[in-house]
Parts: sequence; C-alpha cells; structure tokens
Amino acid sequence: MASNAGSRNPFALSAASPRSSSQKVLANVSLGVIGLAFVIPLGWLVLASFDRSASLSAKLPEPFTLHNYAAVATGTIAGIPMINSAVLSTISAVVTVVVAILAAYPLSRYRMRYNKAFLYGVLFGTCLPITAMMVPVYSLFVRLNLLDSIGGTGLFLAATQLPMAIFMTKNFMDSVPISLEEAAWVDGASAMQALRAIVVPLMRPGIAVVFIFNFVGAWGNFFVPFILLLSPEKQPASVSIFTFFGQYGAVAYGQLAAFSILYSLPVLFLYVLVQRFIGGSFLMSGAVKG
Amino acid sequence: MVSPTRSGAPPHARSRSHGLVRILPLVPAIAMLAVFMLGPVIWSFYGSFTNTALTGPNALHPRLVGLDNYSNLISDPNFPKSVWLTVVFVFMSAIVGQNVLGLFVASMLRRANPAVRAVVGTLIVAAWIMPEIVAAFAAYAFFSDGGTFSQLSAWVGLHSPNMLYDHPMAAVVIANIWRGTAFSMMVYTAALDDVPPDVIEAAEVDGASGFQRLVRITLPMIRRSISTNFMLTTLQTLSVFTLIWVMTSGGPGTDSSTLPVLAYQQAFKFSKIGYGTAIATVMLLVGAVFSIIYIRMLKPEVD
Amino acid sequence: MRRRDLFKASAGLAALGVAGCGSSNNSTAASSSGGVASPSSVTPGTIKVAYQKFGNFTQMDTMFTNVKQDFEAKFAGSTLELIPIQAAENDYYTKLALMNRSASTAPDLMYEDTFMVRSDVAAGYLAPLDSYLNGWSDWPQFVAAAKDAGKADDGKIYGVSLGTDTRGLWYNKDLLANVGITGDWQPKDWNELLSVAKDVKAKLPGVIPLNIYSGKPNGEASVMQGFEMLLYGCPNGTLYNTDQAKWVVGSQHFKDSLDFIRTVYTQGLGPTPQQALDSNWGNVLASQYWPKNKIAMAIDGSWMPGNWLPKGTTPWAEWDKVLGWTGMPTQQGQAPGRNAMSGGWTLATGANCKNPDLAFQVMSIALSKKYALWNYINNSQIAVRKDCTSDPSYLQSNASVKFFTDLVADTHFRPATADYPNISNAIQVAMEAVMTGQQNVDTAAAAYDKAVVQQVGQQKTVQG
Repeated sequence: MASNAGSRNPFALSAASPRSSSQKVLANVSLGVIGLAFVIPLGWLVLASFDRSASLSAKLPEPFTLHNYAAVATGTIAGIPMINSAVLSTISAVVTVVVAILAAYPLSRYRMRYNKAFLYGVLFGTCLPITAMMVPVYSLFVRLNLLDSIGGTGLFLAATQLPMAIFMTKNFMDSVPISLEEAAWVDGASAMQALRAIVVPLMRPGIAVVFIFNFVGAWGNFFVPFILLLSPEKQPASVSIFTFFGQYGAVAYGQLAAFSILYSLPVLFLYVLVQRFIGGSFLMSGAVKG
Repeated sequence: MVSPTRSGAPPHARSRSHGLVRILPLVPAIAMLAVFMLGPVIWSFYGSFTNTALTGPNALHPRLVGLDNYSNLISDPNFPKSVWLTVVFVFMSAIVGQNVLGLFVASMLRRANPAVRAVVGTLIVAAWIMPEIVAAFAAYAFFSDGGTFSQLSAWVGLHSPNMLYDHPMAAVVIANIWRGTAFSMMVYTAALDDVPPDVIEAAEVDGASGFQRLVRITLPMIRRSISTNFMLTTLQTLSVFTLIWVMTSGGPGTDSSTLPVLAYQQAFKFSKIGYGTAIATVMLLVGAVFSIIYIRMLKPEVD
Repeated sequence: MRRRDLFKASAGLAALGVAGCGSSNNSTAASSSGGVASPSSVTPGTIKVAYQKFGNFTQMDTMFTNVKQDFEAKFAGSTLELIPIQAAENDYYTKLALMNRSASTAPDLMYEDTFMVRSDVAAGYLAPLDSYLNGWSDWPQFVAAAKDAGKADDGKIYGVSLGTDTRGLWYNKDLLANVGITGDWQPKDWNELLSVAKDVKAKLPGVIPLNIYSGKPNGEASVMQGFEMLLYGCPNGTLYNTDQAKWVVGSQHFKDSLDFIRTVYTQGLGPTPQQALDSNWGNVLASQYWPKNKIAMAIDGSWMPGNWLPKGTTPWAEWDKVLGWTGMPTQQGQAPGRNAMSGGWTLATGANCKNPDLAFQVMSIALSKKYALWNYINNSQIAVRKDCTSDPSYLQSNASVKFFTDLVADTHFRPATADYPNISNAIQVAMEAVMTGQQNVDTAAAAYDKAVVQQVGQQKTVQG
C-alpha cells in the first residue's frame, strides 16, 4: 500500500489471538448493518429510475423499463450539461491544486510568524455561507467582465475551495521528508525547482486527493454557476437537474431519479479511479494530521 | 508520524532571496482569496448595515440603517430559534454523529474481512461523494410520508410518524450524518493506522477491556486528529444549506430553519439583502466561537 | 449612476413619445410606434429577451423561438437574443433582479410577473411603455383589467399582459350528486359551501370534502387560492387600501377569513394539516385525488385542465365530464356573488434598453394575435385580447375556458408592492397557526397585524 502515513497491516499482529475471530465477526456484522443502512436511501433512487410511474414509495418497478434513462440521456438534458460540469469542475480543481501547492510550500517548509494565523484564518473560511455572498460576487463579476464565462466561474469555485485545499495540501506536504530537498538546495536548486522536481512527485497521492475533493465539490455546486452563468448552453448539470422540478411543483420522480444517477456516476467513478491510483487506502491518510 | 524538521531557509547560496521570494508562492492564493472571498465578505458585512434589497425602492436607493438589521434580528423570535437549531444541528450531526460513527466504523474496518471492508467503505463514501442535491433528494424521498422509512417501519410493525413534518430536525440530522460520516471515517482510519499496535497489545495482555483500551490509550493517541476533525466537520456543517432546503425548506413553519436557511430566505425570497447578510455575519460569529473553543480547549495541531 | 441612466432612458423615450403621440393623430403611421412600423424606421440592433424556462414549462421558449424567426425575417440586420433562465419562481426573480441591477447584463425585454411590476419599477428596472402603447393598433384589443395588470403606482404602464389566470371552485359532479347537488351549481355564500362540505363529510367518508390551500409550504398558492379568495369576497374586504396607500390591520374580514380556514381544517372538512402542509400537495391532488374521485370540491386555478389534457403531466380524458366548475361565492352572497383573484405575467422593457423602439417591435410581434392566441391555448392562460376571447379555437381548447374567461370580470388583483412578499408570508404564518390549532383566530390575526406594522411601519397602516 502506497499510503504515505505508514499504515501497517492491522491483521499481522492480532490475527494470532483467539479473541480476534469474535472481534472479526463483530466487525463484519456491525459493518454489514451499517453498510446496509447507508445504502437503503439509495435503493429508492435506483428502483425509481427504472420505474416509469415512480412515486416516493420504494417499490419494484413494474414494468422494469429504461424509459426514464432514455428520456433524460439526451444531449440537451444530460449530455451538454454534464460536459459543462466536467469542464467547470476540472478548471476549478486544477487551479485549486496548483495554487494550493504553491501556497502550502512556504507554509510547510518555512517557519514564519504568521503561519498559524494564516492557516486558522484560512480554515475559518470553510464555513463562509456562499449563498449570502452571491450578490456582491455578481457585481464583482460584472465589473471584472467575467460573467457568463465558464473560466471565471471555475476560478471562483476554486477560490471558495482554496481554504480546505491549502490545509490538506500542507498536511500532505508535511509528511514528505525535507531531507531530499535539502540535498537539492545544496546542489544549487531553487525552492521552486525543488518543489517541482522532488516534492510534487512524492505527493502525488495527496494531490489526487485534493483534486478529487475539489472536483466533487465543484461538480455538485448549484448556486454559483446558477448566478454567474447566463447562457443556457453553459449551464452545468447541477442547474439543469432542477428542470425536473417542474412548474407548480409537479415532479417526474422516475426521470429525476434516472438523471440523479447519471449525474452521480462520473464522480463515483472518479473516486474509484483515484482510490486505485493511491493504492487502495482511503483518501484521507495524511490529509488531516493527527 | 515523522515530523519533518524544518531547517528554515534554503542554504546560503540563496540567502539574499529571503523574505519576499519566500512568500512569493503564497501570492496567487492570497490574491484569489482576497478578490473572491475577502472582498465580497467585506461588502456583505458593510451591506448588513444597509437596507439593500433586490427589488423595490431600496434597490434603487439603499440607505445606511446602522444596527437596525441586527436589532430587528434580535427582536425577531425566529432568530434565536434559528441559532439554537443551528447549534443543535452542528452538535448532533457533526460532533456527535459523524465523529462517533466515523470512529466506530474506522475501528471496525481494521478488523473486518477485506471484502467487507471494500464494499462497506465504498457504500459509506458513496453517500458523501454524490452531489449534494442528489443526496438531499434521496433523503427527502426516504423520509417523506410513504417513503422508504415509513415502509420499513410498517414492515417491522411500527407506525412511523411523518418525519419531515413531526420531527424535521431529527430527519435532517440523520440525513447529514448519513451524508458526512465518510469524511470522519477516512480521517480516523488514517489516524488509527498510526497508533502503534504493540501498545494496544500490551494493554490487552495486561487485562484492559476494549472500552478501557479505547478511552485510555487510543483516544489520547489520536487526540490531535480528533480535535482537527471536530473543527473541520463543525465548520463544514455550519454552512449546510441544500440538504435542509430540499428536505424541509426550513419547515414546518421555521422548525428546521437553521441560520443558512434563514439567511437565504431573507436575502432571496424576500429580496432583503441587507437583512440576509446580517444573518450571515452572525453565522460567521457562531463559527468563530466554535473555532475559538476548539483552539483553546483542544489545541488542534495546525503548524 | 443608474439614476442617471434612468433619466436618460426616459428622456429618450419621451422624445420618441412626442413624435409617436403626434403622429397618432395623423393618418400616416410613419412613426416608430405600433406593429406596422416599417423596418427602415428603426435602427437595427440586438434585443435581449429573458424569460423563464423550467421543467415542463417550455412555452415561453417555444414562443420566443418562433418570434425570433418572424422578427429577424422582418427586420433584417437585427437579432433577438434569447436568454432562458432555468429556475423555479423565486430563483427566477432573484436571477432577473441581479441581471437588472447591472446595466451591462440587464435584458431589454423580460417575462415579468404582474406581482413584481410595482416593486421593480420602484427599483428602477423597467421603462414605461405608454408612448408606444398609445400608438399601437393592437392596444385597444386588450381588456381593461389586463391594461391595469402592468400599471405601477405612477399610473404608467410598464408591462403588457401575456395572459392571465383566475380561480374558482372545482367540484366532482358525481360525488356532489350524492348530496343533492345537480345541474349548474353556483353556491350562494360561504355558509352554503360549508354546509355542502359537511354533507359530503357525513355521506362520503374517505373523500376530502373541500380543499383550500393553506400554510407556508404552499407559499403564494395558500394566499392567492386560499386566503385572498376568502378575504376579497367579504364586503369591501381587502389587504391594502389603494386610495390611502396603506395596509389594512385589525380587520374583521381578516378574522372571518381565518375562521373559515380554521373551520375547514379543525372540523375535518378538508385535508388533514399534514396533507396540506406539503409543498407537493397540489401535484398530489391533481395527479391522484381528482382522477380517483377522492376529493369533492376545491378552490383552485383556471390552469388545472393543463394537468389533464393529453399533453399534460397526468392525462385524464374524462375530466370535463366528471368535473364541474363554478365561482367561489362571496361571504354573504353580496354582489357580484362570486369572487376571483388573478395574477399573470407580462412582457416588460428594461430601463437600460438602448433601443426601445426595436424592443417594442419585438413586443408587438410577441403580443400580436397570432402568438397571443397560441400562448393562451398552449399555456393554459385566460385570454386578455378581445379578439381572442371569442375565437373558436381558443374557446374550444378546453371546456372550462369560456367560464373562466367570463369570470375575469369579477376578479381582483393583489396589492403587489415591494412589501407584498413579507405580507404574504405573514398571512401564511397566520393560516398555518389556525389550521393546526396552535393559535386561535384572534391571536393569529394580532400576530399578523404586528408583522405588518413591523414590515411597513405604523404610518402605512390603517384600521380596517
């Protein structure tokens, strides 16, 4: 396992003792119950997506049909919005990762006076209610002429995710031993060169974690693109999913469920990919120092 | 975890480039945060002292009204109720719910069968990864009258109340625990991985029960992860909006209107931007109070 | 800065208006007013039109797509840029307001709820249209009530009605036959309505006798289809005294209306509070309760058939055989015997529009008989053009249309000032308190009065 927190195989030492098998059973059973509890709400979602006359009650679809998926998997309903979501989230995630790595380097490597204050302040930024700030942000974007631009919106999303990203990146960076950089400095490399050539490659799993954290956050964000994008063809899927809450509250549950699943699959898939990439352990190893 | 030694500046060959060059990499972050976050926050703070509105005469000529918004807030009975609901929501779903469940799951995962580990881990993470709107919608369907929750209750012979109507806070708290536990689970998995097993083994051999091992040894050893995670989950949970809005719209009445919901309603449903930003300012204060509590009491490791 | 722009725009319009007014006395229609203007008399340019497109509400989108073709064919060199805003009602208002706040993003034409006209005029977002309308040959076709719909406090018209809606009493003929109601039914007053409901409750358990929307989850529907259908049916009942421009507090009519709600909900004459306090209740009623004969009467809108037509969300072929429709009675049966409330949407011009002449050309196409008729029929609207109210294709579009069109004669409009959303909210709170039994009528009414004073200030209230 490539986890850089140095995890050890938990079974190696306790597998021997006889009590461990009952522990194992307890663990498996309790996890099974919890897992079941977690998946049940999603059960309705899946069932309703295959049911043309879905209601809020979970029932086996009769007939089992792909009609809902066919109805939503069109270019205008799902195709273009999901592509927009992908572009927006990628821009946001890439910008965040780059800026966060740059910012985390001095915070991690140099002991400066305001490190702690800056990090606390940055952390505090994670509780800001974005909805309340959208009015001044709109005016700001008008002045900067960034309205109705996917790049501008991605930039803003990146900014809102930056606090958490800097915090996590710094923690990942902290676990990369500085000795290698020191060797490079002795050889005359600059800090930036050392960062690019040594630190970043060693932080790849951490970078993947920050990337996906950010991507998922941007993927699901409704309010920011709703306010900052004007053209309908630029709207991401998070905005178009609301089209299934029809006028006067008439909701087509089956289609909404189908669209929800289509909309969720890419990020789920991305998570699985990233998890494989970092060697199968959970994402947070090293992200939150303890 | 090996704490990296920080020897300070890069060696003499570059000592002339102290100070400014050192913090140069911070500039993009500072610039972005200043322009996109700090700027609007300052405007919002200023706006909370005006009667700015999105429509009506106050849209054309907003005036400074001093502390009027704030005094109206305090005299509005919905406001202290909203603060209380927010505290309850944060405490029950983040501090108690997500952290306890996350720690429990993390410790169980260590002992479980690898297949169970993989499957259950993915299921728990799925609720967190999926877009908030989808999770909110699934939770709404689950708790709605006739939804899966009442179906399950009927199946075991109990008559379930209409959760979204009779116990809206319980419903949103449970939904938020469902949604966010994965984060705590992942943090604690990493933290537990760093607890040396020989210490636990030694305690076991000495006859300490599971609970004693947990409280006396494990918890103190992961203390810093706990406190940091408390802070992170609290701050994230404070601003939860979509989940509650989709599930209950803050209702019935204002029975589940936490501060973000109240701020949204005032700012956008009633077009009263000034009043809405006053509520948002209060939210930041609540966040600050929580943060200071954590920093003082638990001293999370940040540097 | 916006104020300067507003003056500039209205000065420009006034100048044009003078020319327009001047020419309306001549027989030559050489001015820029009216739909018969020649393309050469207006400067070509781009007009941006913003409207709502949401869920299965795509009618505006379709209409403007067609209008765009007609417009660009007629006015070569000009374009109509469509800006559909995908949002539910409140978010739509928010987005539109944000766009209007900045001159560079403000649309030239917009789909504007009658309910927002006055506050948006006060905010400086809209431009008056009188100069254009007075010279427009189609303008006399609009019924008087429709002309008022877009009127602001200064008496000028800022929006032209795209159609309206109204509300009445829907009932299941088969179910009511069981309690002796046959033939053309027009209940006389509230007492008759309540007594029929009691009969239904006694004779047909399991059927909801009378639905009246109430409480916060249903928002404005509770106020317009519920409360105001009652209050404005009281003798001189009103929320707002227009002559004095003051809100009414301490009104007995208010309490009477609350009492009606209380009676229905606490005596089991309507849905349970739990059923009613669900934002999805209207949808459930339309898609399940009506087609399955589980509800006897309801106060609801003229748009209901839109659910049941073949292209609706829950097609129900027999709706016009099973259901009857009549007017909501006034409180004591006093003239005019029935009460209705109307809302509706308008087309309005932005105050920052740089080419108002061209914008009006688009408007006159969109509001011409061809598109108006299409909109009325396909959007379940009530016609506001006289040449459409008697048009056979309109009257035959669904069986209830003629009745509701005639009902507009007895309708009221809401006092839609900038304060109205808060007042409406206070009404919903009061309704919810009495329907759940949490407060009695007097307490709830007193709380409403207090909320009104807090919202508008003591000076803007008057005892009613």
